[in-house]
Amino acid sequence: MSSVGQKSLPVRLLSWSPRSAIRRYGVYCSLAVLLLIALVVRPEVYRPESLFLILRSASQLGMVALGQTLVMLVAGLDLSVTGLLVLTSVVIAQIGAGQDSRILPGLLVSLGFGASIGLANGLLITKRNVPPFVATLGMLVLIRGAQSAYTQGIPSGQVPDGLKVLNQSLGPLPVSFVIWIAFTALLAFVLYATPFGRRIYAIGSNREAARLSGIAVDRYVVAVYIICSLLVVGSGIILSGYVGYVDRYLGRGFDLDSIAAAVVGGVAFSGGRGSLVAAMAGVLLVEFLSSLLLIIGMDVQAQLIVKGLVLIGAVALYSLAERRP
Amino acid sequence: MKKTAALSALLMILSGALACADEATPAATQKYTQAELDANPYLKSVVTREGTKADTSKFKKNGPYKIALAAQGPTNSWAALFDQEARYHVDQLGKNKVSELLYASADGNADKQVPEVEDLLSQNPDALILVPMGRAALAASVDRAAAQGVPVVLCASGVDGDSYVTEIGTNLYDLGARAANWLSDQLGGNGNILVMDGIPGVDTAEIAKSGAAAVWKNKPSIKILDEQYGQWSTSEAKKTAEQWIAKYGKTIQGIWSDGGQMSQGIVEAFQEAKLPVPPLASADYSNGLLRQVKDGNIKFSAGQYPNAMVILCIDTALKILNGESVSRFIDFRSAMEKTQDVNTSNIDTFFNPKWSDDVFPPIFLPDSKMVELKYMTK
Repeated sequence: MSSVGQKSLPVRLLSWSPRSAIRRYGVYCSLAVLLLIALVVRPEVYRPESLFLILRSASQLGMVALGQTLVMLVAGLDLSVTGLLVLTSVVIAQIGAGQDSRILPGLLVSLGFGASIGLANGLLITKRNVPPFVATLGMLVLIRGAQSAYTQGIPSGQVPDGLKVLNQSLGPLPVSFVIWIAFTALLAFVLYATPFGRRIYAIGSNREAARLSGIAVDRYVVAVYIICSLLVVGSGIILSGYVGYVDRYLGRGFDLDSIAAAVVGGVAFSGGRGSLVAAMAGVLLVEFLSSLLLIIGMDVQAQLIVKGLVLIGAVALYSLAERRP
Repeated sequence: MKKTAALSALLMILSGALACADEATPAATQKYTQAELDANPYLKSVVTREGTKADTSKFKKNGPYKIALAAQGPTNSWAALFDQEARYHVDQLGKNKVSELLYASADGNADKQVPEVEDLLSQNPDALILVPMGRAALAASVDRAAAQGVPVVLCASGVDGDSYVTEIGTNLYDLGARAANWLSDQLGGNGNILVMDGIPGVDTAEIAKSGAAAVWKNKPSIKILDEQYGQWSTSEAKKTAEQWIAKYGKTIQGIWSDGGQMSQGIVEAFQEAKLPVPPLASADYSNGLLRQVKDGNIKFSAGQYPNAMVILCIDTALKILNGESVSRFIDFRSAMEKTQDVNTSNIDTFFNPKWSDDVFPPIFLPDSKMVELKYMTK
C-alpha cells in the first residue's frame, strides 16, 4: 500500500523528494498561489461577504466531492450525482410542501432514495461487473426518466423555508461550510485511522490482492457507493434550501466539477491514491478560481478555458510526479 | 392551371428568405435599419418571412384531419403544460375537425426526435407540428415531410432549411431589445446595469442577447458593470447575482435577464442581501417570478414565451389544410390574445396566486383542468 494517506508523518518526512512534494502538497501550493494572485489582482475577493459566498459554494460542491473522492479511491466514478441532486430537491419539495414540520420525513425519504441508488450503483459494478462509468451514467438516465415520469414535468410542492438555515451564517461562516468541514473531518478520520479506510485504499490499489488478503471487496465498494449517494443527498438538501425552488438545473456541472476537484487534489483515477483533505482543498481551489474569474468579469468562454487549463495542468503535474526517474 | 399553381407554390417555398426579401412588409422593415438586417441573419429572415405568404392550396383537403405533434415532451413544466394545452384544444375542436392527434415526446432530445418524426410520418398524418429540439438536426426530417407532401408547422423554435410552411414563435431579437429599451427608459438612459444571458451558443439565448446589445450600443450612458451567462438556472443565476452584489452593491441600478428562472434567482439574491431589487427586465416570466415582484413591489417588465402558443400552431395547421394562406413566420404576439409584455401595471391580468410557481402564463386551460393537473390549489 503506497498511498499518501497511509504513511505516517515521520515516514513521509524521511521520504521527501520534489516529486513526492508535488504529489502531496501540490494542491495546497496551488491554492496558496491563487490566493496570492487574488490578493494582487482583485483584493475585494477577501471581503468577508465574498469569502462567505465562496465558502458556501464550496460546501455545496464539497459534499459531492467527498463522495466522489471516496468512490475514486476504489477506482470508481459516479456520474449519477446530478440526477440525485435534482431528485432530492423534488422529494424535499413534494414531501416538505413548504412546511417545516415535514422536513424530517422529506429528509428520510431522500436519504432512502440516496441509499437505494448507491446500493444499485454498487451492485451493478460489483456483482454484474458493469464499468462504473456505464453503470452510473445509466443510473443518471434512469433517475431523470423516473423523475420525469413521476412528476410529468410538474415538480409540484415547495421547499420548506426551514432549510434556508443551512445557507445562513454561524458566526462568520456559512452553516453549510461547517457541515462540510465536519463531514470532511469525520471521513478523514475513518479513512486514515480505521481498518475501513485502510481497506478502501487497499482495494483501490489492487483489487485482486485485496480480495486474496481476505477483504470483502464487494461489500466495501457497495458501501462506498452508498456513502457517496448519501453525501450527494446532503448536498441536494443544502442546495434545495439555497435555491428555494425545484430547479431542474440544480447542481449542473457538479458531476465533472467534483471529479475535477478530486483530480486537482491528487486523487488518481486508477484508485488507491490520494488524500481526502487534499481533494477538499481542490474544491476550494475550483470554487475560489470560479469566483475570482467571475469577479474579474471574465467572459464565460475564457472562464472555461482557464478552468480547463488548470485541470490539465494539475493532471500533467501529478503524472510528472508519478513518473519514475 | 393546376400545374402552374403547383409550380408557383413550389418556387415560393424553395426560393426561401432571400428571394422573398423584397416582399417584406414596409412596417416590419421600417422598424430596423438595413445595416441591422444585414448584420443579423436571424432578424432578416424573421422580418422577411413575416411579410411573405405561403401558398397552401396544394395542401387543401377535406377534414377531419389527422395531426401529428412532435413535441419536446414533459421534461419541464413549460413543456408539460404545452402538451396539456394541445390535448385540451384538440378535445375542444372535436372529432369532426381533428380525428386524431398523433403525439411523440422527444424528451428534450434531438437524437430521439429524429426517428420519432419518421415514425409519425409513417402514419401518414395530414399535417406535422414540430417543436424542433435542434436547428440542424431536424432539418432533414422537415425535408422528408415536405417530400411526402405533409405540411410542417414549426412551433416555438426553428430549423435550418426552408421546407416548412410556417414557423410560429416570436421575434427573439425584438424580445431582447424591448426589454433593454424598457430598462433604459426606467433609468432615464443613464445608469449601471448587470446583464445575465441564457446558455452560451444556444440560438434563442444568443439572439435575444444580440437584440439587447444593439440597444446598449446606442445608449452610451448605460454602463454594463458585468455580463455573464446564468445557464437558465435559478441556482446558477443566484450564485452569480450574489457575487455581483458583493462586488457592486448599491451601485447596481438595473438588471437585464434572459429568462424568468434566472430572474427568480436574481431577485432572491437581492432580497437575501436585504438590498432593494433594482428595475428588472426579464425576457420571460413564470408565475413564481410574478409572485416575487408583486410581493416585493419590484419594478419589472417581462416578455412572453407562452406554452399556449401550441393552440396557434394547431389552428394554423388547420388553416393550411383548409387551403388558407398563412405567413411564413407568425409572431404569436400578433395572433393570440393575452400576449403582451407584462409589467407592474398589468401584472394582475397574468398572475394567479392559486397557480404553482412553475406555471408560465398566459394559460388557456380552465381552472378545473389546472386543479386536476396539480398546477392550481382549489
